[in-house]
Amino acid sequence: MVRFLIFLLFSAWAIVSAVGVVTFANPIYVILWLLSCLIAIAGIFFVAGAELVGALQLLIYAVAIAVFYVFVLTAVPWEKAVKKDSHYRTEGILSLPVVLLLYLEMIIVFLLGVVASPEGKFREAMAKIGNAEVVGSVLFTKYFFAFEVVSLVLLIGMIGAVLIGRKESQTYEDDTG
Amino acid sequence: MESLWVDIAVAIVKILVILGVALGVGAYLTWVERKVAAHIQRRPGPMVVGWHGLLQPIADGLKLITKEDLFPRYGNRFLYNLALVLALVPATLVFAVIPFGPEFEVFGYKVKPILTDVNVGILLVFGLGSLAVYAIALAGWASNSKYPLIGSMRKAGIIISYEVAITFAVMGPLILAGTLSTYKIVQNQIDQGLWYVWVQPIAFVVYMFSLLAETGRVPFDIQEAEAELVTGFTVEYGGMKFGLFPLVEWYIEVLTLSAIGVVLFLGGWSPLNIPFVGFVDPLFFLGPLSPYVWFLLKVTALFLFILWLHWTLPRYRIDQITEIAWKVMLPLALINIVITSLIAPFVWE
Repeated sequence: MVRFLIFLLFSAWAIVSAVGVVTFANPIYVILWLLSCLIAIAGIFFVAGAELVGALQLLIYAVAIAVFYVFVLTAVPWEKAVKKDSHYRTEGILSLPVVLLLYLEMIIVFLLGVVASPEGKFREAMAKIGNAEVVGSVLFTKYFFAFEVVSLVLLIGMIGAVLIGRKESQTYEDDTG
Repeated sequence: MESLWVDIAVAIVKILVILGVALGVGAYLTWVERKVAAHIQRRPGPMVVGWHGLLQPIADGLKLITKEDLFPRYGNRFLYNLALVLALVPATLVFAVIPFGPEFEVFGYKVKPILTDVNVGILLVFGLGSLAVYAIALAGWASNSKYPLIGSMRKAGIIISYEVAITFAVMGPLILAGTLSTYKIVQNQIDQGLWYVWVQPIAFVVYMFSLLAETGRVPFDIQEAEAELVTGFTVEYGGMKFGLFPLVEWYIEVLTLSAIGVVLFLGGWSPLNIPFVGFVDPLFFLGPLSPYVWFLLKVTALFLFILWLHWTLPRYRIDQITEIAWKVMLPLALINIVITSLIAPFVWE
């Protein structure tokens, strides 16, 4: 009961923050709403007993990723941030049907996932050896191949970043040299 | 039902004790710092208010609280104040996962001197610790002034770089302990009869470097570089609002990170450790109080070590700081992980 109430609190918090993300014009406020939303989602994970996922949500999304937005946005000049030219109304209305379609797809995927998910299978193991160990053992045995493929995607992203970064530094050297 | 109320009561007592200790000690550490700094520079330090300046923190607090609250005209007042909250709250929350001593019994209830023994404690420490970036970035941006912005960008860059190094550095002790819970990490060190600093010297050095960088202590205090930026991102803050940032950064964060360092590398509340021999406790006469005294002594030693560095060294340039993070500390931490995984089986035995 208490748990359900706390879950409601966090999910209401997450939804309000998400609405804030799309309605506010000032990019700094938007990023703060996003941060608040991510923290609320971490709270939902904690309530659900997925402590590892909650901590990772906090560590990776709320800190590592959102920080880069802040880093970029604090470089935005003050006058531009206060201007309200970030909302495109006609485009917003035009894209509405597509967004609804996306939501429909999300709902279908979610319902399929509920049917397919191994409900309660991990609960015993989790009570026995703890959260992080269960995630680790599942990740490195059953889903090992998928895990490695995902790391390949990250590697490609890193190579791309290095390539883009290199070009610029070379032109700098040419300019100064 | 009754046990629920007892749990809540115990939690509230713990919260009050931790908050009181953290904020009270935090305020008084300003006096310690000024005294240590003074003696390093061969001067007496605060002497006027109270015996050897013991009442100086109270006088400072009164002065800061009664000062006029100035605000930059074109700043953003909401974000300006929000930055204060974002600085104080995550830094104090880290105390929730610091274990102060072994489990004990009061009136038949087992009490662990740790607020929440979650099994991902260490991850929370770093998650909450790096939320400090937001406070700094917002403080710099909301002031709408050049020095704070430059200071906050520098500091954010440093924290992002060293967050990576510190996470990889603590990986070593975590592999040896085989758990993410701070309480169990200490327990495992006691069971294995080994402080992890003996087998993780590289990780310890990287951890100390990152600690200094994240808390903005010398030699990494480039974000406030008095000579160039006045005081960095706190320039536009006045009175107690100005006092809060150093309180959080220099005292509360240094305290929490030192405590986590003690937990990870120096065996938490365990007495002196000699490798291959075991634990030797010169403070045995204190009886059940001895673990707490040991924990306190170790944290104090680390804190004084940091003060000593702060008042001795010159500071790095910003490019040198990030270079050290990515080109020295990160590779060192990665090498350490390889070494750790080689020696881990021997430690586990």
